[in-house]
Amino acid sequence: MTYFARFYHPRLASGSRVAPPSLDLRVSPAATGRGFADGRVLLHDVTVRYGRRIALEAVSGEFAAGSLTAVVGANGAGKSTLLAAIAGVVRLAGGVVQRAARQQLAYLPQLAAIDLDYPLTVSELITLGGWREFGPFRSPGTVLRARVAEVSEMVGLAGRLARRIGELSVGELQRALFARLILQDAAVILLDEPFAAIDAQTISVLLDWVAQWHREGRTVIAVLHDLDLVRARFPSTVVLARRCVAWGATEAALSVMAA
Amino acid sequence: MMSAHALIVEPFETLAFMRAALVACLALALTNGVIGTLLVLRRMSLDGDVLGHAVMPGAAIGFLYAGSSPAWLSLGGLASGFAVAALARLITGERARHDAGLVAFYLVALSLGVVLVAWRGSNVDVMRVLFGTVLAIDRRALVQIAVVSSVIVLVVAALYRPLAVGAFDPAFLRAVGARAPYEAVFLALVVLALVASFQAFGTLLAVGPMLLPAAAARCWGLGVAASMALATGFGLAASVAGLLLSYHGNLPSGPAIVLAAGLLFGISAAATNSWRRLAPLIGRDA
Repeated sequence: MTYFARFYHPRLASGSRVAPPSLDLRVSPAATGRGFADGRVLLHDVTVRYGRRIALEAVSGEFAAGSLTAVVGANGAGKSTLLAAIAGVVRLAGGVVQRAARQQLAYLPQLAAIDLDYPLTVSELITLGGWREFGPFRSPGTVLRARVAEVSEMVGLAGRLARRIGELSVGELQRALFARLILQDAAVILLDEPFAAIDAQTISVLLDWVAQWHREGRTVIAVLHDLDLVRARFPSTVVLARRCVAWGATEAALSVMAA
Repeated sequence: MMSAHALIVEPFETLAFMRAALVACLALALTNGVIGTLLVLRRMSLDGDVLGHAVMPGAAIGFLYAGSSPAWLSLGGLASGFAVAALARLITGERARHDAGLVAFYLVALSLGVVLVAWRGSNVDVMRVLFGTVLAIDRRALVQIAVVSSVIVLVVAALYRPLAVGAFDPAFLRAVGARAPYEAVFLALVVLALVASFQAFGTLLAVGPMLLPAAAARCWGLGVAASMALATGFGLAASVAGLLLSYHGNLPSGPAIVLAAGLLFGISAAATNSWRRLAPLIGRDA
């Protein structure tokens, strides 16, 4: 229990709408309680270690509900680790992440994290987005199946539902994973290098979805490498170099990085 | 020239121990098809191998305590299998996986087991623990195998979706908040399946009937459930072929069954490979 409990903090949970996100929380790592009701994500002194290596050190800050933020930095700067920490898939060595409950969270890992040899169809992959509805034991309902067909058309994968995921191009696979995110219908969406090695046409389709999520008031946090893209489409930016170097409006944050 | 009846049916018809062996192999083919497929899909074949040998020291201690009683051998094997699985999880949980460590583990476990059995037992006992005695399975051992196999198949059926999803996108499973330790449950199932096979195939060969039919089925590029079914079919075919081979050729039965499974794997790999090459030439989808 304590492992999961440390992601939440009681003082803010008891009145998440009232309490201002002061960063002087002095929280204990084993704090318990419930998360935010909206898409706000609050980090306080988040530290992650892999063995002896420190991947992320004392990162604090707030992603406002409905914000659209890019996370940039050199290789090994802790960008993916930050996302994994928010998603709750790595153990924190210290600090607290406060955010919506897991059901309100959608996480797109790097493509390399997915085993493409696995005998799964595109339709099955997308259907997993409805996990909140059917869980580990029940089977997906007819409404969900209809939604899967609908969503696959929206990302341009109509007619590919019966294909194995191993037969897709990288771009098509990323479209399928975005379809899964759409079905997850989450308040907080975490994207780890969503456009790496993807063709330009697919990138523009996927960027439209990111913009759409932003319009719908969801919090979107994306790890990106293409700074021009960040300037053009992402209002706020976090610059990481194991520690947080800059966090704020994109131009200001990126100028700190250049300096 | 022997008739087909004399070749295939008669050995099972006339000899009770052949029938018992066949029933045991049927039960084991079911669990091995299911567990083996999940192992292959998770790319955990080596872990399965290591766990197979991890059963050895515990089984040896069971042997020292109670002689070659199936129940004590299994209990001992179960205990040391679980211990090693937990230890391996602890080690691999901390840093990246270490196959050298796993291999060291299994060599030590194997040697320790052999030393322990040889200390009190004869060479025959050592051979029995290493290679199993599929033709000496009595009613009690048969019931034990059947019960363990049924439990494994039922648990996999109940946890099928998380086990399948965890195999291809573990981060997704954790991110959607599946809190049960499915990884640990799966390892426990592998140990259970190996202990069930231990009596029939011994610690060296138990992994064979588990991985070879599953690897053969995997060649054919089917879905998860279909792969499991095909692996079970392959396992059964290999068992029948191996038992008959050992009967007519007067060969050790466990190795004969594993050889038959290996042959099926070879055929599957060759057939699907050549189809993949041939298909574009004759204008079909590979």
